[in-house]
Amino acid sequence: MSQLSLYCVDAVLLLDNAGKRIYSKYYSAPHQEQGSAGATGTLAGSLNQELEYETRLFKKTQKQNFEILIFEERLVLYKEYVDMSVYLVGPLEENELVLQQAFSAIKDSLELILATGIDKKNILEHFDMVALAIDETIDDGVILETDPATIASRVTKPPSKEAQINIELSEKGLLSAWGFAKSKLAERLQQGL
Amino acid sequence: MSTHTYKKFEEAVSGVLPDKMTVYQECLNAFNESPVNAKRCRTLISRLLQLLAQGETFPKTEATALFFAVSKLFQHPNDSLRQIVYLAIKELSVISDDVLMATSSIMKDVQNGSDAIKPNAIRSLTRVLDETTAFSAERLFKSAVVSKHPSISSAALVSSYHLLPVAEATVKRYISETQEAVSDLKTYPYVSGASDYYPNSTYISQYHALGLLYMLRNSDKIALMKIVQQYSGGNVLKNQLAQVQLVKFVGNLLQRDPNVISQFAPLLSGWLTSKHESVQLESAKLITSLPDRNVSPDLVAAAIQTLQGLLTVPRVTTRFAAVRVLNRISMVAPQKIVVCNPELESLINDSNRNISTYAITTLLKTGTSNNISSLIKTITKFIHDISDDFKIIIVDAIRTMAFKFPEEWKSIFDFLINTLKHGDGGFIFKNGIVEALFDLVEFVPQSKETVLENLCDFIEDCEYNEILVRVLHLLGKEGPTTKNPSLYVRHIYNRVVLENSIIRSAAVVALSKFAMVKNDPVLLNSIESLLRRIRNDPDDEVRDRATIALEFIEFSKSQPEAEVPQELINLTYSYDLGALESKLTHYMASNQDSFRTPFDSSSVQKLTEEERKATEYKKRQEQFSAKLSPGKESTPSRSTDADKANGNYSGPTMEEHGEDLRATRYAEELSSIDEFAEFGAIVNSSKDVPLTETEAEFVVSGVKHIYNSHVVLQFNITNTLSDVALDNVSVASTPEVGETSPLNELLTIPIDRLAPSETAACYVAFSKSESIVTEGFLNTLYFTTRELDPATGEPFEGDEGFQDEYEIDSLFITAGDYIKGAFVGNFSASYDELAHSEVAVYNIKEDNSLQEIIDKIIANTNCLPLENSQFATLDSNSHTLKVFGKGITGGARIGLVVRMIKSSKGIALKAEGKSDDAELCSDVVNELV
Repeated sequence: MSQLSLYCVDAVLLLDNAGKRIYSKYYSAPHQEQGSAGATGTLAGSLNQELEYETRLFKKTQKQNFEILIFEERLVLYKEYVDMSVYLVGPLEENELVLQQAFSAIKDSLELILATGIDKKNILEHFDMVALAIDETIDDGVILETDPATIASRVTKPPSKEAQINIELSEKGLLSAWGFAKSKLAERLQQGL
Repeated sequence: MSTHTYKKFEEAVSGVLPDKMTVYQECLNAFNESPVNAKRCRTLISRLLQLLAQGETFPKTEATALFFAVSKLFQHPNDSLRQIVYLAIKELSVISDDVLMATSSIMKDVQNGSDAIKPNAIRSLTRVLDETTAFSAERLFKSAVVSKHPSISSAALVSSYHLLPVAEATVKRYISETQEAVSDLKTYPYVSGASDYYPNSTYISQYHALGLLYMLRNSDKIALMKIVQQYSGGNVLKNQLAQVQLVKFVGNLLQRDPNVISQFAPLLSGWLTSKHESVQLESAKLITSLPDRNVSPDLVAAAIQTLQGLLTVPRVTTRFAAVRVLNRISMVAPQKIVVCNPELESLINDSNRNISTYAITTLLKTGTSNNISSLIKTITKFIHDISDDFKIIIVDAIRTMAFKFPEEWKSIFDFLINTLKHGDGGFIFKNGIVEALFDLVEFVPQSKETVLENLCDFIEDCEYNEILVRVLHLLGKEGPTTKNPSLYVRHIYNRVVLENSIIRSAAVVALSKFAMVKNDPVLLNSIESLLRRIRNDPDDEVRDRATIALEFIEFSKSQPEAEVPQELINLTYSYDLGALESKLTHYMASNQDSFRTPFDSSSVQKLTEEERKATEYKKRQEQFSAKLSPGKESTPSRSTDADKANGNYSGPTMEEHGEDLRATRYAEELSSIDEFAEFGAIVNSSKDVPLTETEAEFVVSGVKHIYNSHVVLQFNITNTLSDVALDNVSVASTPEVGETSPLNELLTIPIDRLAPSETAACYVAFSKSESIVTEGFLNTLYFTTRELDPATGEPFEGDEGFQDEYEIDSLFITAGDYIKGAFVGNFSASYDELAHSEVAVYNIKEDNSLQEIIDKIIANTNCLPLENSQFATLDSNSHTLKVFGKGITGGARIGLVVRMIKSSKGIALKAEGKSDDAELCSDVVNELV
């Protein structure tokens, strides 16, 4: 019956090119009693177990362009970037293409929100947004959303400092500059009246 | 760039995290500041999350302090701060106390917050609720579920799903809203300029609603059927995950009741051509996992065609998924997927090695004797380019080939020996090849000499001691019976000259075997002189072994008829290792008189060489046709097991081990019963035969134990009722032929009390007057039911209980119970040797497939199928089954050739049996089906 469960993601991991974790999230159902779900066994364990698992996983996948493999009785989807990799771990019996959807959702939404591409520095700098994006994709093992644009739109940017004028000369920046000028102008006009 | 941002930048790049106590202090300060600096708080929370993601945790008091500090930020109007606050709450709620306190502030946000953060608020609400407070959120959830905003609705549905284990009753109250959400197509409201991205609804809330609905309705089969019918038609479900979920629904329903397939067949075939690959895959998976009798061949063919199509798509994951399903099918029914062979062949060079390995192993299973050698050629080309893990899997697959096509041994052997000699590879890989070669020697007799000679060459430069020792052992065992033993003697003696002491001692033992077995005085003399020379070896173990060997040789020279040295050097039997292990463990654990009583090895079952081979052979066959069970696929994952076990790669799994121990367990159980002590040792125990439906109130299975002059029937009875105990449970077994039966009932051992959900055994013993008695038993279960007081678990006082009886199926002792499977390398030669023959003809009217008949014959006769004749080909209407076995009492050999032809009227069988024992032969042949 467990295949009918919505809990179909065991973990999402971001590891750097030495196999050290950048972001890790092992999922377990929030209100499940400990041990009752033990039959299938969640991947989450003590910190040491998790770290060991990551090291083994990294060793197995590093520099081998598999994209998908079976690792220790679980399906693993992953993608290597310049100096880091993204992993998604799911149960062995899950539909591979469903996991693929969730995986692409994470990948593509990260690409959208990290404008200059996925790399370790970028992720660490925008850690809040990365964490939010992954949280918007998978909620404790349940796939929440698979459309990257939707996910990206749900991730808020960090608040800018009050009245900080931020003019970028990209199309977006011009638009916001126009909006800013318009509001200022309206303010002035109102004051003038 | 200000110093602050510069610092942050630097830390971020170096990956060094700030100390967790610093972050903690800074967080507490910043969150309590007034006015709150939103930007700074978000940065701090981001650091906090980073720490948590790294695996840092905070002590409970500090986590709680953080939790409350963070929840103060709810008052801040900035959405982007609040969103990250919710994430922090989610993370912290796991490690802090009193999370309930935040409930009301979160609830306020759920009611009044903006659309942007409402979903986040709902999702964190689940984390702070528990069974006592869940009900208070019912109204909130209900209105969120029906919300037009897809994210809000999804958040509420998923949160309800999380809450199910603690608050099912609450969630059930908005079941109709959930149902509505399944069919409701929600789209994002258009908000201009709200974001840089344009959310495009995937209608994923349908998936969540469907998942939740299943959990709420899963006890009600009719309701589930209705759900499938309601949502499968038309265009109700837009989301592909939801469609996949619906396919799984059907799978679940079919599992509960296989007969509903007729209703779902059209649906399934429609899904096979769905525009979503995931739906195609899921339905193909489902169809091919159904048992053959429940699903029409057309549908299976369509499913396989779909998989075939998926094999050629450019997306790796899709190919992987499809080839994995095909690989699974190939283990059970390779003939079904032969059509995919061209696609599979093109996948051999796939860039993803997992896919190519699956493709190869699948091809090796579907291979026919025609294409096997060309397949092996293809593999030879690239075996050197791949990693050890995959090599091992391929060698494993090739090894099973040897069983399937013994006549192709030459090309298989060439492949193995080439990769062994020329390929580099670790120990596990080399050992795998050597194991495969050993198998060839053992089970394909015609290959023996070639393999042995090549192994001799191989040990000339082999870097692994373990492998060398094993090869030497094999040479010692098999070499003496070959045409030209002196050839091997030379190779073995070379080892004595060149290698280290471990190998030298193994070589000495091998040499001594040549001396003992071969009645060749020239060879004997030369070995003797070799051994004398070895007596001067620097290592004492080697010297010892040489001395002992020489002693034996002397002894047998002076007393040629003595069997002692023969037996010691050349073992004709080995112990059942599983049984030996369990006995020894038991002996070590009991330690009654500090080991003064020596270990009694006579109680351990001994296996003759032939029996051992037969069990080995059977194990291989089972491995080969391993039925699919979750997690027991022979996939690339096996290599990881190999990594882990590091050398213990081919050890038997627990199940196989259990099978080995079955006989021992029975023997122990029965010998502990005094009444059976006088019967002697058990000669043979049958497998468990189910005598009732598995859903019955009392589940009974029978085991037949054959003694030299007695028969004991063991009935394992399980009481599945929860509130009734059974007293005085006994089984009345009457032979079908009545008074004239050669069996006399001696005694019955009833079960005194069978408590709910317990299993116990009841025995009925008979004495038998003839050596082979075949008989059917009519069985009735007698018992007294006693209702139990739920409070105490004891029967009510004064409850007399009431007598009842229960018919169970008959149990048959057949000729097969007197037979054990035996392996012979050359079936037709051994078959022709046997003296007595018997022929019988059967007509089976029922609509069975050939395979079903074959399985039945094998089970009934207990013989070992040989020459790979246990698999019927699907497209042919005739088949010849060859089985071989050995009588358990006299050791009489028996061989059977069963020819079968399937026609529209049924199946016609012609069985020819030949045996040393005429009675056994006629019994077996006449009771085939």
